[in-house]
Amino acid sequence: MPNSAFQAFCSLVLSTLRAILWISCLALPSAAAEMPGYVGSDTCKTCHEEIYNNLQKTPHFTVETGARKGWEKKSCESCHGPGAKHAESASAADIRNPAKLSPLETDRTCLTCHLNQQTPGGRLASGHAKDQVGCTTCHFVHGTGGAKLVEHKRSEINARCSTCHISEWAAFNRPYKHRLPEGAMSCVDCHNPHATFSVDAMRTSFGNEPGCLRCHSDKRGPFVFEHAPVRLEGCGACHEPHGSANPRMLVRHEQSLVCLECHSNISMPNPQNAKLGGVPPAFHDLRTSRFQNCTVCHVKVHGSYVDRELLR
Amino acid sequence: MRLLAAFLLLLPLAGQQPATPAPEPAKPATPATPATPALEPAKPADQPAPAPAAPAPAPDEPSGDNWLQGSIEVGYRWIPNIDGNFNAYRSVVNLGQGPKLLDADFSLLNPSKILFDRADVHATSWGGDPYNTLRVDIQKDKIYRLMADYRNIEYFNFLPSYADPTLSQGVLLNQNSFDTAIRTLNVQLDLLPGKWITPYLGFERNTQFGSGVTVFHTDQNDYPVASLYSDQTNNYRAGVRMEMGRYHVTIEQGGTTFKDDQGASDNQPNSGNIPGFFLGQPLVLSQMQEQYRVRSNSTYTKVLGAANLYSWLSVTGQFVYSRPHTDVNYTESSAGNFFSNDLFQFYNGGQDTLTGAANMPHSFGNVTVELRPWRRLRIVENWNTERYHNTSNALLAENLLLPGSAPLTDQQLATDRLNLNYSQEEIDVFYDVTSRLTLRGGYRFQWGNTDLGAPILSGLNLETASLRRNIGIAGINYRFSQKLRLIADAEGSSSNQTFFRTSLQQYQKAHIRASYDVASSLHFAADFSLLNNSNPDPSVKLDFSSKVESASLFWTPNSGKWGNLLLDYSRSAVSSNILYLVPQTLTPAQSIYKENAHALTAVMTVKWFSFGGSMFISSGSRPTNYFQPLARLSIPLNKHLRWNTEWRYYSMSEAFYAFEDFRSNQLMTSLRFTR
Repeated sequence: MPNSAFQAFCSLVLSTLRAILWISCLALPSAAAEMPGYVGSDTCKTCHEEIYNNLQKTPHFTVETGARKGWEKKSCESCHGPGAKHAESASAADIRNPAKLSPLETDRTCLTCHLNQQTPGGRLASGHAKDQVGCTTCHFVHGTGGAKLVEHKRSEINARCSTCHISEWAAFNRPYKHRLPEGAMSCVDCHNPHATFSVDAMRTSFGNEPGCLRCHSDKRGPFVFEHAPVRLEGCGACHEPHGSANPRMLVRHEQSLVCLECHSNISMPNPQNAKLGGVPPAFHDLRTSRFQNCTVCHVKVHGSYVDRELLR
Repeated sequence: MRLLAAFLLLLPLAGQQPATPAPEPAKPATPATPATPALEPAKPADQPAPAPAAPAPAPDEPSGDNWLQGSIEVGYRWIPNIDGNFNAYRSVVNLGQGPKLLDADFSLLNPSKILFDRADVHATSWGGDPYNTLRVDIQKDKIYRLMADYRNIEYFNFLPSYADPTLSQGVLLNQNSFDTAIRTLNVQLDLLPGKWITPYLGFERNTQFGSGVTVFHTDQNDYPVASLYSDQTNNYRAGVRMEMGRYHVTIEQGGTTFKDDQGASDNQPNSGNIPGFFLGQPLVLSQMQEQYRVRSNSTYTKVLGAANLYSWLSVTGQFVYSRPHTDVNYTESSAGNFFSNDLFQFYNGGQDTLTGAANMPHSFGNVTVELRPWRRLRIVENWNTERYHNTSNALLAENLLLPGSAPLTDQQLATDRLNLNYSQEEIDVFYDVTSRLTLRGGYRFQWGNTDLGAPILSGLNLETASLRRNIGIAGINYRFSQKLRLIADAEGSSSNQTFFRTSLQQYQKAHIRASYDVASSLHFAADFSLLNNSNPDPSVKLDFSSKVESASLFWTPNSGKWGNLLLDYSRSAVSSNILYLVPQTLTPAQSIYKENAHALTAVMTVKWFSFGGSMFISSGSRPTNYFQPLARLSIPLNKHLRWNTEWRYYSMSEAFYAFEDFRSNQLMTSLRFTR
């Protein structure tokens, strides 16, 4: 992006932040905002004892014990809203039930507290939010029937994700794959289901670098001689991260074709449409076995500290 | 676009009031005296209100003998046979024989609550298995939470079909193979968890070490040599999360160190991949040593903010800046008889030393704004920008030992760069047509430019490319009660400026997902995705298509009391066609890739017996069959003890690379103790 455009962007961001600050000053709630109609969890427990007991097994019980948010002794109503009317009428219509709200409204209830916790995008821009997959699709708040609020075992996480992401999970039946079915990894090692700023909810590592580098940190660099697609297109330019029938999870059956599909720019007639990647020299005779696999010589395909041709 | 975004931002500021307050829980008032709770309809209405129930003992409260809960499973795996290519087996499966700690999962509740309240430990696959994991979670309520995750994953790859120029001579050697282990440790300590301000500290270590085969390259011959890998990355971070009602802020400062001491060596005569004579002389490597000493460090600063300013306005943003730096020292010495194309003469060895450095300041910023001006309307605007500029230099000193003359000394200074400026702006509008149906429309614009050192043969100093991609977005979301859900997303782009020939250029992408709970015991889901991408440029002619259709069924009759059935089937078809230039003639040819694949997982459990497995069958450019059937018997011996016996079979066959086929039977028996 040209500098002027970047400056314009920064200017817009700053203007936005200033506007937000201004609004927020006007919008500060009065600390003493009080709303009648709360009855406390003891009252809820009278009828919903099983739910209350299950809730105690979940991290949300810290709400009840007053560790946060000022909802001590009113944890049920922190999500369900004031319960006095419901307590009097016993009608389901008189209480908010997040499970029956639209996913958006359910999310909004949860995000009242969880706006920023390990969720860089605040969920607003995540694929799950855009697809209206609410928090309670994966998180079982009451813990009823042994269901967990948060899965920790990798096998359980994978099972949860694969309920919807069938085709992604099927890719792990292929011979060359990341070790998810073996329980060594889970979907959330690479993806943040809540939100990220990356494509496909990919996690980042080391601040602002691709999540793949968290384990494959030898590919991180910065290299003295970079290989452009690694930086510009990411690992997915050459690899199928979920699974492949090709060794090294490559996107092609022959390694040389992975390279040659880009390294075939003989001319750049229109600079605006120029593509990166030159042409291998003519002495690379693919009919000889020596040149049938590029990485036999170009061993440092992810970037080299020593050689521009990635030979060492 | 920016004007539109600014307008959208400012529109609600003009005083637009939300039609309906969001269902955000308000701050509670002083609790009213609890009203006599009404009873649920199932209970007789005329009964007096029950007294509040006595607090049930929380499971976290250790009482008596429940201070330790969990399970442990130990067993033994026999592998009677591994037929076929053992290295291919290790590359794909890699399970070994012997005693195993298969799984340990327990929670320790500290009765005294001194130092900690609760500790959870989960470990899998210890005892020589290739994937060892350990997770520890220790917490003391309101004081701290310590989480540690350790993994040791063996990373073995030796497939001659991948990189073996000597395959036609009958040599099965992957000249780009490795037998390494990747170990990762991730520790995070949260202080005052649950409070409005939570400081945290983190440490992460990633190491890779082992051996392998790599290639020592000279102008007229290449020599497979032994390599050693040893690198380590440490990441330290500290930050604070602040949660202030409707404002949330995270500030993190981190640093990373990296060292790479890999090397390669050869100490015996090596005739390389092209044995024989060149201009009447053999090209032989008799000795070589190569040693890298790479040191890298980086610090980064991350600021993340999120705010629910109004019931109709939410904002999040993040800014991260890092400045990684690398220093390189490299030495290489070789002896033998080689040929130099530049000098057009033979030489007997060489010594190279290189010092280099690279700097890559990297910034990333994002702002997302969600407006809910009306109850049914939601507008999400998202800006991303990412910039990094890698500038590097290297000084290479070369000494060539020429026969019968003084050594030839040369010094070369090389510089390189890779700059990227990338931005993305997206606006999505969601409209709830009914309470069950949401429509989505949007627009995404991606733009950027890059420049980098050009290939030497191009004769240019720099290569440059631009990105301009306009993308239209549409989607439908339909929900019927909790049982039926349908999600359909589509996007399409028509652009002519992309970085690479294979980049997404003129593409259409669609994804449809549906799930239906036929009954409480029967869940059905289906999935369809499609990606078409083309580049009509006469020198490219890219035509790519990928289609995946999947369906799954999960049946748990009688709440799974007597068993369950899991069925997953997926069919995928990939077709790619693109022109490339044959290097030796510079004439166009077609790179064609096709794959038609079927993947099936079926597991049926009847009481104590499970059977099924998974299979993958593909045809096309690399036809492959991979089968993993299993049968498992799990018999409870008493309340705490269960005996498991499992048979698994692994079989892989490749039509074009039959020398990599393998088959293996495996039998495992284990005891699981549960407390």
